[in-house]
Amino acid sequence: MKIRKTSLLFFLGPALFVVALFYIIPLFLSVYISFTPMVDWNVNRYLTQFVGLQNYERLFHIVMYDPDMRAVIMTTVVFVLVTLVINVFGGLLLALATYFMDEKMSAAYQGLWLLPRMTPIAVYSLLWYYFFHSSGIGVLNSILLKLHLINHPIALGLDPKYLPWGAWFIIIFVNGLVGVSYGMIIFYSAFKSIPRELIIAARVDGASTTRIIRHILLPLTKWHFTFVTVWQMFSLLMTYAQTFLLVEWRVVDSTWGQTWALYVFRTAFTTTKDQGLAAAASTFLSIIGIILGIIALKALGYEKMILEPKGDI
Amino acid sequence: MMPETTDVETINRRRMNLALGIVVLIASIPILVTYFILMASSFTNQMITGSMVGQLTFTLRNWILFFEGKLTVASAAVYSMWDILRYILNTFIVAFGVMLVTTALATMAGYACSRMKFRGRKFLIQLLILLHAFPGVSLIIAVYALYIFSKGPIPSQWWTLYAFIYVIVARAALEIPMDIWIMKGFFDKVPWEVEWSALIDGASRIKVWKDIILPLVKPGIAAVAIFSFIAGWGALIYVLVFLPPTEKTLATYIAGLLAGGSLEVVHLPVVAAAGTLYLLPTLIFFSFVRRYMLQTSLSGIKG
Repeated sequence: MKIRKTSLLFFLGPALFVVALFYIIPLFLSVYISFTPMVDWNVNRYLTQFVGLQNYERLFHIVMYDPDMRAVIMTTVVFVLVTLVINVFGGLLLALATYFMDEKMSAAYQGLWLLPRMTPIAVYSLLWYYFFHSSGIGVLNSILLKLHLINHPIALGLDPKYLPWGAWFIIIFVNGLVGVSYGMIIFYSAFKSIPRELIIAARVDGASTTRIIRHILLPLTKWHFTFVTVWQMFSLLMTYAQTFLLVEWRVVDSTWGQTWALYVFRTAFTTTKDQGLAAAASTFLSIIGIILGIIALKALGYEKMILEPKGDI
Repeated sequence: MMPETTDVETINRRRMNLALGIVVLIASIPILVTYFILMASSFTNQMITGSMVGQLTFTLRNWILFFEGKLTVASAAVYSMWDILRYILNTFIVAFGVMLVTTALATMAGYACSRMKFRGRKFLIQLLILLHAFPGVSLIIAVYALYIFSKGPIPSQWWTLYAFIYVIVARAALEIPMDIWIMKGFFDKVPWEVEWSALIDGASRIKVWKDIILPLVKPGIAAVAIFSFIAGWGALIYVLVFLPPTEKTLATYIAGLLAGGSLEVVHLPVVAAAGTLYLLPTLIFFSFVRRYMLQTSLSGIKG
């Protein structure tokens, strides 16, 4: 019994210690800030002032009466849903394609698709700034002009003619390209960890590639599928960095290109520097995220997958 | 490398390869175009955009300017070459540090979550994924307060070293919950019989884990190592907040160049050179890890 405790402590202790210290404790503090009137990062002055639900009341008022906030909510819903589907299924398709292709080609394509994830956010946004630029220097515009699909440059993310779809298309496209590599790497590694005998045996028995995918690869990677879906949903709810620069550099409209997370960030750092309100909006988003996350885990059969350990010796 | 033909007696390998290659190639066009523009721009006199292909000339000047620490053609050097080299070294330290801490702790904890019975196990596993619903950015104030508080007793000549360790561990903490989940999924797939037979032979749990189980989850370790290396290599806010202003990394240096939307101030091809250089180590790390960790031998069980 004593030995079991020691080895559990050895395996679990260090990770739990680090996560508790640098994640869980700070998390409680950041929720606490939503009950203070903090502005301009004045920690000394405001951290001890408790104002109850005042920030949440203000947030509620803004949601009810500010039409821009309605755009933020719609953008968030469309952005998270569409990008999530692209990320999970795009990642799965890429993982399958690279699993079945020859090793060198597979490595090259995976490296290529990892590039957006590896690129510094500022440089990545700069690339799409040039790609979607609203004048003739924009790559997209010059391609469309050369193909005679348009007569003069278009401002896809800004022109009211194309809003909100133009702005949504750009933020979904730019974030989706970063997101798919996540599923690609995790699904691919999961496929690779399946004993090859299983696949060889199926091949020898005459199973087609489609049957191998449906009856071996997908059922054996359910855990990873659940994980990637829920994890990516949280990531998309919280992401703002790429979109922030696209808005700052006037590639997309600041109303229809703004998700809830970006609203939180701008409120805390750039527009009103109202950290109390931002913390309330952020906490509210986290609560929504947790509710959605628990629903998704239930729907994907998390309980069954948790697997009781068969036995300790 | 072993040619992978063993499992394909019944299908036409070459045709499938070609078809998959073409489909993925078409899907990759946007990435190919934009990254070609980035890398090519680092060798030309101005950023390549749609309409100016005729006016470009090849030059190495952007790379020279970058290593001289100059941000525009006309300006004096803002940084020296030694600064740039030190930023590159710093980036390696943070990236490898985050990668090692994350991979080690997550692999251990992932094993415990998969194989050991303890009270609150289910709750812990669920908590770890739900943590991600709280954005890392909002934690920074508290993590900063803890930093100030904890560095008090440390003599000031050690502060830089302490800052590096703090950045690495604090940044790794953000990655660990996700990687515990990933690793648990991989440990779950290792048959119990493998572990039992070794334990019955009298080996200790830790020894069994190290010598027998770990080689079987190499693909999982590879995935975790790749993601945590990328996270450490690109760490921005934690590096900005905790490292002294003189100790930049490539990520904070590049972010500084483009700060505040000042696209007109810097010579953008220099940024393209910095961005291209920035990508290389991660790509090399990725192909290295893929080579050594994802090449499962014919028998998945023997590893």
